[in-house]
Amino acid sequence: MYPFEYVRPASVEEAIGLRRADAGAQWLAGGMTLLPSMKLRLAAPSQLIDLTDVEGLDEWSIGDEHIVLGSMSSHRRVAEADEVRTRIQALSTVAAGIGDPQVRNRGTLGGSIANNDPAADYPAALLGLGATIRTSQREISADEFFKDFFETVLEDDELVVAVSFPVPRRAAYLKFRTPGSRYALVGVMVAETRDGVRVAVTGAGPGVYRATQLETALAEDFRPEALVGLDMSPDGLNADMHGSPEYRAHLTGVLARRATAQAIACEN
Amino acid sequence: MTDELELKFDALAVGAFKSVGRPVARREDLRLITGKGRFTDDFNEPGQVVAVLVRSPYPHARINRIDSDTAKQMPGVLAIYTGEDCRADGLGIISHSPVPSTRSDLKLTAPGGGAIFEGPHALLPVDKARHVGEGIAMVVAESHRQALDAAEHVRVDYEPLPWVADSAVAIRDGAPTVWDEVPNNVCVDTRFGDTAATDAAFASAAHVIEMEFPIQRVTATPLEPRAALGQYDEASGRYTLNAGSNGAVTHKRQIAGALNVDPENIRVLCFDVGGNFGTKNRVYVEFGLVLWAARKIGRPVKFLATRSESFLSDYQGRDLLTRVELALDADGTFLAYRASNLSNVGARIVSLSPLGKGAPLVTGSYRIPAAEVRAWAAFTTTTPTQAYRSSGRPEVIHALERIIDTAAHRLGFDPIALRRKNLVSSEEMPYTNAFGITYDSGDYIKSMDIALRLADWDGFEARALAVRERGLRLGRGFANYVESSIGAPRERVDMTISPAGRVEVVVGTQPTGQGHETSFAQVTADLLGIDANAVDIVYGDTDIVAEGGGSHSGRSMRHASTAIYGAIEKLKVYAIELAADVWGIETQAIGYGDGRFVETGGARRFDWFELAALEAERAGGGDQRGLRISHSHEMHTPVFPNGCAACEVEVDTETGFVRITKYVAVDDVGRVINPLIVDGQTHGSIATGAGQALWEQCYTDPDSGQPLSGSFMDYGIPRADEMPSFITAFNEVPSPTNPLGVKSGGEGPTTAALAVIINAIVDALRDLGVDDIPMPATPFQVWQSIRDAQG
Ligand SMILES: Cc1cc2nc3c(=O)[nH]c(=O)nc-3n(C[C@H](O)[C@H](O)[C@H](O)COP(=O)(O)OP(=O)(O)OC[C@H]3O[C@@H](n4cnc5c(N)ncnc54)[C@H](O)[C@@H]3O)c2cc1C
Repeated sequence: MYPFEYVRPASVEEAIGLRRADAGAQWLAGGMTLLPSMKLRLAAPSQLIDLTDVEGLDEWSIGDEHIVLGSMSSHRRVAEADEVRTRIQALSTVAAGIGDPQVRNRGTLGGSIANNDPAADYPAALLGLGATIRTSQREISADEFFKDFFETVLEDDELVVAVSFPVPRRAAYLKFRTPGSRYALVGVMVAETRDGVRVAVTGAGPGVYRATQLETALAEDFRPEALVGLDMSPDGLNADMHGSPEYRAHLTGVLARRATAQAIACEN
Repeated sequence: MTDELELKFDALAVGAFKSVGRPVARREDLRLITGKGRFTDDFNEPGQVVAVLVRSPYPHARINRIDSDTAKQMPGVLAIYTGEDCRADGLGIISHSPVPSTRSDLKLTAPGGGAIFEGPHALLPVDKARHVGEGIAMVVAESHRQALDAAEHVRVDYEPLPWVADSAVAIRDGAPTVWDEVPNNVCVDTRFGDTAATDAAFASAAHVIEMEFPIQRVTATPLEPRAALGQYDEASGRYTLNAGSNGAVTHKRQIAGALNVDPENIRVLCFDVGGNFGTKNRVYVEFGLVLWAARKIGRPVKFLATRSESFLSDYQGRDLLTRVELALDADGTFLAYRASNLSNVGARIVSLSPLGKGAPLVTGSYRIPAAEVRAWAAFTTTTPTQAYRSSGRPEVIHALERIIDTAAHRLGFDPIALRRKNLVSSEEMPYTNAFGITYDSGDYIKSMDIALRLADWDGFEARALAVRERGLRLGRGFANYVESSIGAPRERVDMTISPAGRVEVVVGTQPTGQGHETSFAQVTADLLGIDANAVDIVYGDTDIVAEGGGSHSGRSMRHASTAIYGAIEKLKVYAIELAADVWGIETQAIGYGDGRFVETGGARRFDWFELAALEAERAGGGDQRGLRISHSHEMHTPVFPNGCAACEVEVDTETGFVRITKYVAVDDVGRVINPLIVDGQTHGSIATGAGQALWEQCYTDPDSGQPLSGSFMDYGIPRADEMPSFITAFNEVPSPTNPLGVKSGGEGPTTAALAVIINAIVDALRDLGVDDIPMPATPFQVWQSIRDAQG
């Protein structure tokens, strides 16, 4: 690690003020991504603005049509909460499947989506469920929020405050894990929402994306059979030691089919 | 004094043992799990400073210039050293003695015979970087951060050169040359076996099957990264090194050579070691560098590798390209075998153990009268390879057990029946194979029968049907193995029995997790007829442990128990003389049994500790420590642990995902000293093999030569939740070569694991046209193999 300052503000305003005063500063949430990068000297923030004590970031509001989770919600809290499971079981599955117990104890919803790792799970959950991101400045739909490869539309001094998830009619998330990291080689969220069918894919490409071909098929007929025979294009998908673009494209189809079956089975 | 022990023992009667054979809990565990271990990084000295290496980012590059002027001026920096500085100071090279040289090793040579060019291992290179991660310069600073900061400012002017990572490419005409001395990169090329007889057998064979297997490169990833703490004492001129290894004594000699100093001026300390698996058997440049820097700077110098550095610069394992041919007659009798084994030694030769140990075992557990093996090796611009858990044997057993399965299916034999027909039977033991290697003992067929029963082999079809109903496929695999355990031939024990009732045993082997403190105490206690809690095992300080071959090649239990046995036999003779003298009777009138020396027909008796008290008393002002004995022995006869494995895997053909659902291991480790410890070794040993079969790979980018599996993100280490609950059994056939009948545990199960798992996956997919799958059989690879087979 390189040397850095450490501050622990108590409010969103204070946190933003600190960030504006120092261009090299970064927010620190669970630290599960940022701290390892600092240890490897890949990140060198001049200042860490720890969000742990910032008021309001861990607040939840649970309704029948939406659940709103504060950005500092740990993966573990989301995974274990009954009020999440009973409304959006797929979201519990997402949180419960991230990393290991240590990572889930520390890592947060806000940190995960701000980071937008191309193989992270939450981005697929937000995009697939059609969530809205509340920041210190505005509300952003998931469709606009995620850009390519570790990029979002967040401004430097913009803080994720909470995420609002519409409760879907039915949804399921399946991820096929990469040996080693156990991140998604491909992860697919299939959701039948009040605004239509959404399918979001993580791991396969340079960033999370919607599989419109699958959405169209499922919109017509929300059954796994509707996806049989659909050939997913490998164009633009990732190639590395863990999988070719063709393999990732193929897995996307398989997982979407299985997730659809699961969404139907879990429907309550 | 060295005793060449009589090699024919009647293995000691089982009834003689009270502790041996029992699952005694490991006494070292409490210390280790409560943070009281003494690992290298636990040692810190006043005034200690930190060393960091500047490592090559290129697989192959000429070093034109190293500019450390800026870096030297940075805060806390004490020194920056380069290869030129080492040379100017007259430092030598690390002599790894890489060529296996016990009497039973086949002699590897350079192409055309003659001495092998090893590729000198200077502490820092002056000419070129030959692999990514090779140390090019060393920064020493007050703190770790200061050293890292300065290292970023050492400017190395590299001239990138063409690289080659793959041994099959390195031997081609026009491939980049790693060492000018060996323009075509082929540093070893030796043939063993009877070519004429093999050719004749192949010519007359009804069937010949031919296959090629790349046994991919893996790395050991011990929990404790390599570390070193170097000190120099100006007054005595002595160096002290703390460093985890498999045996401090060998390291002492090799480090002395690299520093060009008398070995007596080097003390090596090695207590607890957090995993080794072979990668810590060999000396690392940092060991020499911290000592040298400690002398130059006048302060203790510490080096601790990061995990990233370990992935790049720990000596790695396997990497053998093996092409094999099996000749069979019409009824399935094996007639002959040919193998061409090309080892990728990496940037320089650190060890030829993998190549050398595998070569004479290519025919495995089978009666194959004629065989030939070409054992050759190539330099590449990759990290050097070294022995890795069951050095060289899983590679050749994989090829053999895979080709047998393939032969069975292509020719219409039952794979089990084909194996049974050709296995060496217990009546043929000791059995001399086609390379003149004699297997000491074993009952291979019995092991196979035990495994088949434990695996419920015959109930497979019903299970497979049930799995099919879940949309998956079940496959089953079988593999036999035999491996060899040789290792450094000399070992020594110094034993003291004190009047206070304790027995101290100083020994030159080095546990790296195997529980020697427990199992050696069990042996000592039973041979003395005392309680095991009275025995202390001492190791790891070359000022105390004068000699010793360390722990490798499954040698420790066998050598230590033999040396302990020899020491106690000698001590008994002395003790009887002592008792006879005290009692004023003839030695013949004294009997020994169950830890007691008894006057025949009389009432007088002594136990060991009473004699120790007498001895101390008689010493007067002299050595009052009690009964003391030193015993060294040499044992050149290898033993051949053996056994088999059966497993079942579920395969999801849509995703390529494989899950091991059942795993049976039957092992003949000779006498089992402590079944709890051996079972633990078996479990770990299976996981080691499963990791190679399914996930692990040191993957090099084909476009840039960069190692891409540089962290646990990309390197698929096996985890507990991926393993089934293992079913294990012993088929204990004591070895006739040593008094306790010990063979070796801990490596055998790895030896069979690669083949048995791949056999099972191929079995599950055979009707899809899959007849082989390269390792690691990751989901991607399995899916790809199915797709390729479907065309
Ligand atoms: C071993 C391991 C395994 C993992 N496995 C998985 C996995 O399987 N799936 C998965 O999805 N993830 C995985 N992760 C990542 C994990 O989920 C991280 O916790 C997450 O990506 C980042 O969250 P964090 O709270 O730790 O953020 P930090 O590391 O604290 O921050 C990450 C980035 O987000 C920024 N940031 C944080 N909070 C906010 C905010 N409120 N507003 C704006 N910017 C913010 C920070 O400034 C920083 O740039 C794994 C991590 C580890 C270490």
